[in-house]
Formats: sequence, C-alpha cells, structure tokens
Amino acid sequence: MIIDPISIALITLGGVLIGLGVHFIPVGGAPAAMAQATGVGTGTVQLAAGAGLTGLISAGFMYNFLATAPGGFGTSDFILVLASGAVGSMIMITVTMFIGQLVYVYCVGVPPVSAKVDTDPITGDRQDIYVSQGTEGHGVPTVSFVSGTIGGLFGGMGGSLIYVQLMQIGNAPSDPAIVALAGIFATGVFYVNAVLASYNIGGTIEGFHDPKFKRVPKAVISCLIASLLCAIIAVPIMGGVS
Amino acid sequence: MSAVEGGPASGGLPPNKIIAIGVIGGLAGIYLTMLNQTLNTTIFSVMGGIGSIFAVVWGADAVRRVCSYGLGTGVPSIGMVALGMGVVAAIFGLVIPEYLYNSGIVRGDWILYLGPVISFIVAALIGLVIGVMSNKILNMNIPIMEKSMIEIAGAGSLVLMGLSASIAGSFAFNDAILPGVVSTGYIAIVFIGGAMTILHPFNANLGPDESQYRTLYVAVEKAALIMVIAGFASLTVIDAVSAAVTMLVGLLIFLVYFNKFMKSVHNEAYKVVGTGLLPTAEELG
Repeated sequence: MIIDPISIALITLGGVLIGLGVHFIPVGGAPAAMAQATGVGTGTVQLAAGAGLTGLISAGFMYNFLATAPGGFGTSDFILVLASGAVGSMIMITVTMFIGQLVYVYCVGVPPVSAKVDTDPITGDRQDIYVSQGTEGHGVPTVSFVSGTIGGLFGGMGGSLIYVQLMQIGNAPSDPAIVALAGIFATGVFYVNAVLASYNIGGTIEGFHDPKFKRVPKAVISCLIASLLCAIIAVPIMGGVS
Repeated sequence: MSAVEGGPASGGLPPNKIIAIGVIGGLAGIYLTMLNQTLNTTIFSVMGGIGSIFAVVWGADAVRRVCSYGLGTGVPSIGMVALGMGVVAAIFGLVIPEYLYNSGIVRGDWILYLGPVISFIVAALIGLVIGVMSNKILNMNIPIMEKSMIEIAGAGSLVLMGLSASIAGSFAFNDAILPGVVSTGYIAIVFIGGAMTILHPFNANLGPDESQYRTLYVAVEKAALIMVIAGFASLTVIDAVSAAVTMLVGLLIFLVYFNKFMKSVHNEAYKVVGTGLLPTAEELG
C-alpha cells in the first residue's frame, strides 16, 4: 500500500480546481428557472456535476486510448487527457447555456441581462435598463457565458486530474474494476468539492463579474482541506486493490 | 431557492431515537448478510437492503433537520454530498481490513468483520471536517451543521454498504463488492439512487405543512424502491431466487409505505379533487 505525496498533491489540486470552476459557472437556481435571475435555471451541483461527469467520460476515453497504446503513458499524454476532460466539460456547459439561452430568449421572451453590473465587462453593452422590475436579471449574458466556459475548463480539468491520477496508481488501464473504482472516487470527490463551493456562493452566482466571486479564497481553502482528506483516503485504496 | 427559511424542524420522533434506529438498523442489516456465508446461501442478501432502509430513514431525517434552516442551494446538494463522502469512506473502510489481513500485518480474521464499522467512523470523520468547514470557513452559520454532516455522511456510507451488500450478497470487498458491484458499474446506480433516497423525501415534502412522519414515509418508500432496483441488479451477480426475494420484499415495503404516504396526504390536504382528463377538441369546440 503506497502513500505517494505527489499523487495526493495532484488529487488535492484537482479538487481545488473543481471548487474554483464552480464559481465561474452562471448558476441561477430556482429563480432562474422562472427567468427571474441571471444564469441557467438549476442548482450548482447539477450543473457542475453534469459538466464534470461529461469531462470525466471524455477524459476516461482519452486515457484508455493513450494508456493501452504501445509506448505507455507519458507526461505529454497526461496533458492530452486533461485537455480532453476540460474540452468535454466545456462543450457540455456551453451547450447547456446555449439551449437555456434559446429558451429564455425565444420561449420566455426575456433579453439576456446581468443585474450585478451596469455594463457587460466584455462587450460593454448597457445592462441595467434591460433588467425587468422585481427580477435579478435573466438569461445568460455574454460575460456569464464566457465565465461559464472557463468554469467548464477548470471543472473538467480538475475532475480528469483526479481520475488520471487514481488510474495511474491503480496501474491497470483496462481492468474494469480499477476503471470503475477510479471513476466512482473521482465522482465522489467531485461532488464533495462542488457542494462545498456551492455553499460558499449561497446557491447562485452570475460568473466572475459577480461580487460573490470575491469569496473564492474561502472555497479554495475548504476544497483544499476536503480534497486532501479524500485524497489521503483514496490513494491507499487504489494502491491496495491493484 | 432555499427551502424553508428559519428555525429548527420540530415534531415527531426525537432525533436521538432516529439516530439509534439508523445506526443500529443499518449496521445490523449489513452484518446480517454474513448469514449468507455462515449458512452457505445467498438468501440473506435481502438484509442488506432492509438495513439500507433504516439508514435512509436516518439520513432523510438528518437532511430534514439541517435543511429546515435553509441552505441556499436547494436540498439535492446535501444528498449528493452525503453519498460523495459515503462512497469514499465506505470503500476505504471495506478495503483496509482486507489489506491488513492479507498483508499479514494483523493475523486473526476478526479484523475482516470490522469493515462496515471502520467505514462508518471514517464517514463520520469526513462529515465532521466538512461540517466544521461549512460553518467556520464558509460562514453558513447553521447551528446543527457539524452534527448533521456527521449524520448525513454516516447514513450515506451505510446506505451505500447496505445496497452493495444486497447486490453482491456479502460486504467482503475483494471477493464480492469489487467484482459484483464496482466492476459491473452497479456502483453508479447505488451512488445516485442512494443519494436520491436521502435527498428526495424532504425535497418532496418541504413547505410550511411539512411533517416528520410524512417525510419519513417517503423515505421508506424510496428506499424500498431502490432496494427493488438493487434486487434487479443482483440478478446478474448472485442467483435469481435471492434477487427475487430482495425485489419482492422491497416491492411489499414500497406498496405499504406508499399507501401510508397517500393516506397521510389525503388526511392533511384541505381537499383532494380529481380534475379528470384534459378536454378533447370536440368538447372545447
């Protein structure tokens, strides 16, 4: 049974990246489901998990492809798997935001607008005059969309970092038991970090321009501690089973 | 988004009683699957499912108590974190004794029976850390957060172990759960299904007229449904007779408690009326 400090550090880093990524995703929660707040109309955990798990699947596919190929698994392959996970996550979250946007604009009939800033920091468009009275914005404005994509990048990268590291310890890329164990552990650590981050933002956030984004350091500390704990537990198991 | 803002949940069975029911019932269910090995059968796999029902009741009650304060993120988040913590702790607790025994560090097979207890303690430890962080670092300021997180993580690990034991017929990790539950991918069903059973009862019943017994009826009913699914999964892992027993017992409990739930809804609602079917085009014209 090995307790490898580098693996523990990388898994912890993955957890922190997930917690960070959640802060970028425009989560509107239940108010957004009624087009009364900016963001996608569901909870942080559902959005982050949807994107994160897609990232995990694309990273898993890439890992399996590279690790079973002749020549083994090198450092450049590591980066490829992380990139694959990040892109998978980004695609999932952008598709979710885009389809949500179509519903908000063409079905609900509201303009995508942020209530937290007067002008969109990216496009410079005026925001405040388009906010319907009694609401906190609606839809997914450009800045939130960009922010959400960055969130997918961090979340997907963090999730795949955990998965790859666990697989590397397991050292049996085609053994279904190792794959499933690494997958379920990555999922477990993902949920713990996503929920901690969502407690930090109190359920809703518009993206990096939201004043709540300043709370990030707290989430980073919490996710660091939680992931470290999970990593210390997970690393010996993956080493012990194989 | 937040459920019911405000004070602690009240009424019904006292928390300590439910904690006792959950811990003792859950662990007893998991340990009773050992009868399978003693009597050389697989019929007692059903005990794992029944144990998980006790754990679900406890978990759902803990969710009910903590979510009454209003988390700000919706109830589902706490159910997912329960199983997130639970799965890490459960597998750790089940692997460690086997590792210690196989590597010769501990000689004496008593260590093999400690798995579920170790899992439970590790889950409580992770829960404590997460609960303390939620209050101290994230400033959630929910007075019962630490205690509830311990309970929810503990219940999560018990649900996971109970359902896994009922699928695989034993809680031995390398011999039963690894090939039967993890490799087959049923662990994903156990994970999401277990989280659902813990988060759904309060999520479905929350509101000003929420009452403990109605929430817990839903908890039992949902846990029984997942037990049926676990039985179905165990068709491919252990034999058909044991799987059928798990499914039938689960279905029976589901029917009884779904009826109880419906009765309590009818009793407590001001009025229940049928709206009939949607009118057809001719009736409208």
